[in-house]
Amino acid sequence: MAELQKAEIVGTPALDGQYIGEMDIWPFEAPEFNRIYPFYDNLRAGKFTTTKCKKCGHITFPPQVICPKCWAEELEWVELPKMAKVVTLTETQAGAPLGFESPLIIAWLTFGDKGPLKHLLGRIIHCKEGELKEGDEVKFVTFSVPAHPFEVKKDTKVSDRVYYAFEPVK
Amino acid sequence: MAQKRNAVIVGGGTSKFGVRQAHLLDMIQEAMRACADDIPGLKPVDIDGLIVATTMAGRHSSALNTAPLVVQRLGLSPTSICIRVDTLCAGSNSAIIVAKGLIESGIADVILVTGGEKVYMPQRWETNYTQLAVNDHDWDSAMGLGVPPPFFAMIAKMHMKRYGTTKEQMAHVSVTNYNYGTDSPNGHFGGRTLTMEQALEARIIADPFGLYDCCPLSDGASAVIIASEERAKAMSNRPLVYLRGTGQHATHSMSAGWPGDTLAEWPHLKKAGEVAFKNAKLTPKDMDVIQTHDCFTISEVIELEELGFCKKGEGGAFVASGEIGIKGSIPTNTDGGLLVYGHPFGASGARQAIEICKQLQGRAIHQVKDAAFGLTHNLSGTCAQHTVVVYGKEPVK
Repeated sequence: MAELQKAEIVGTPALDGQYIGEMDIWPFEAPEFNRIYPFYDNLRAGKFTTTKCKKCGHITFPPQVICPKCWAEELEWVELPKMAKVVTLTETQAGAPLGFESPLIIAWLTFGDKGPLKHLLGRIIHCKEGELKEGDEVKFVTFSVPAHPFEVKKDTKVSDRVYYAFEPVK
Repeated sequence: MAQKRNAVIVGGGTSKFGVRQAHLLDMIQEAMRACADDIPGLKPVDIDGLIVATTMAGRHSSALNTAPLVVQRLGLSPTSICIRVDTLCAGSNSAIIVAKGLIESGIADVILVTGGEKVYMPQRWETNYTQLAVNDHDWDSAMGLGVPPPFFAMIAKMHMKRYGTTKEQMAHVSVTNYNYGTDSPNGHFGGRTLTMEQALEARIIADPFGLYDCCPLSDGASAVIIASEERAKAMSNRPLVYLRGTGQHATHSMSAGWPGDTLAEWPHLKKAGEVAFKNAKLTPKDMDVIQTHDCFTISEVIELEELGFCKKGEGGAFVASGEIGIKGSIPTNTDGGLLVYGHPFGASGARQAIEICKQLQGRAIHQVKDAAFGLTHNLSGTCAQHTVVVYGKEPVK
């Protein structure tokens, strides 16, 4: 009997295949879970945005609830540049985190001296290994990522999700 | 005005670091045993404060409120402080800063700082998966930035481009640290040696890094005793090693906030070092032996620059010239460092502190002659935060 149980019960039976949010690799994008959800709505509309302080004019990324320069709460959404230049890059052949394909191409991007965003680490998609070079231009691109369920009283809602990366300009 | 109390490090020990068949709490007990062996006068009742440093305990050991678990396993009954701290790779170095303040202020007399991680899970990929949550999860991690090699590989490429640093120069760091670490009995790669040829011909992990440019992820734990001068004298006859000055500086959590002109400049480390040296009333020139966060070979190169041991951009030539060796101007990572002793995140700062304590007490395996001043340094996360502690055989006057 003990042997039989050992064979039948593998892992954590109580979970019964249920979604566990704490192991999710993507953000919880729904308004129920964060106050910067317009960022994700804007992503769905193909826009790369962040928050700008109406009091001091500071633009910060990622978007925030208060301005990190003056702590004002009066913020507005503004668009960020969609074109960037590759300063340096790395291609991971093995050991990419679960959920990311190998080769995983990550680049250090600059947005020019005048832009509100100086530099950013960005994943490069739609690109073959060895194709991207330092100095190349890349552009902002959005894509769907897996939705997740969440409980609202006795119902289960589904949060559709989107994320962004960069792709070579061809 | 009453005389200022001084905090000292009395001694310490580590568990065996490596891929361990052991629970986190098992390894913390091993570290306590090693610490007790190092300080024969220490009894469980002497310890009135406990600070536990760990990051992965919450996920990998299902131990979110870790301090009470350690109290039970070590037979402690703290009355002044009983907390967990988490600053990832700088966990126990952060805990030492907290302990210093508590002891100098008179809130505590004898504090056990212990740090540890169980990183290897039944399924090994879970370690990489969890690392997505130690960066800025919703932003850099969602770009696929989990384990650190890709980020530090870009740092190395940038340093090579801007300052002409070479792979050979970086290999001098790993070869030097292997020479130091091979006789560390509890080290992850203790007993192994490394030649320049082996270092340069190793398989590529993330260009330009070969295998030996990267420290391992390790299971392990360490433990040190931080005490008031009076209590230290009561439990040990060894020379006193004072915590002279500390600095901890953070400027950002994700890539958009990176403070340098490029990835090759680490102004936040420069600042942390300046604060620690100022508090210690010392300069880099006063240091006899140091422990820096050699998570990658390029890290040690840049750390020597930003901490002021050589000019900015000259770190590659500096490490290749033998200056970090036992007869060089600044022997560095004399127990093998993260590259050889291993890196269980929360355990590393205390492991470094043990080596500096031994060096300043004149009993290290690779002893620097007449060492009187030393420092420890950790970076944490994707180089988001820097932690520096300066030690000396004399207190700040």
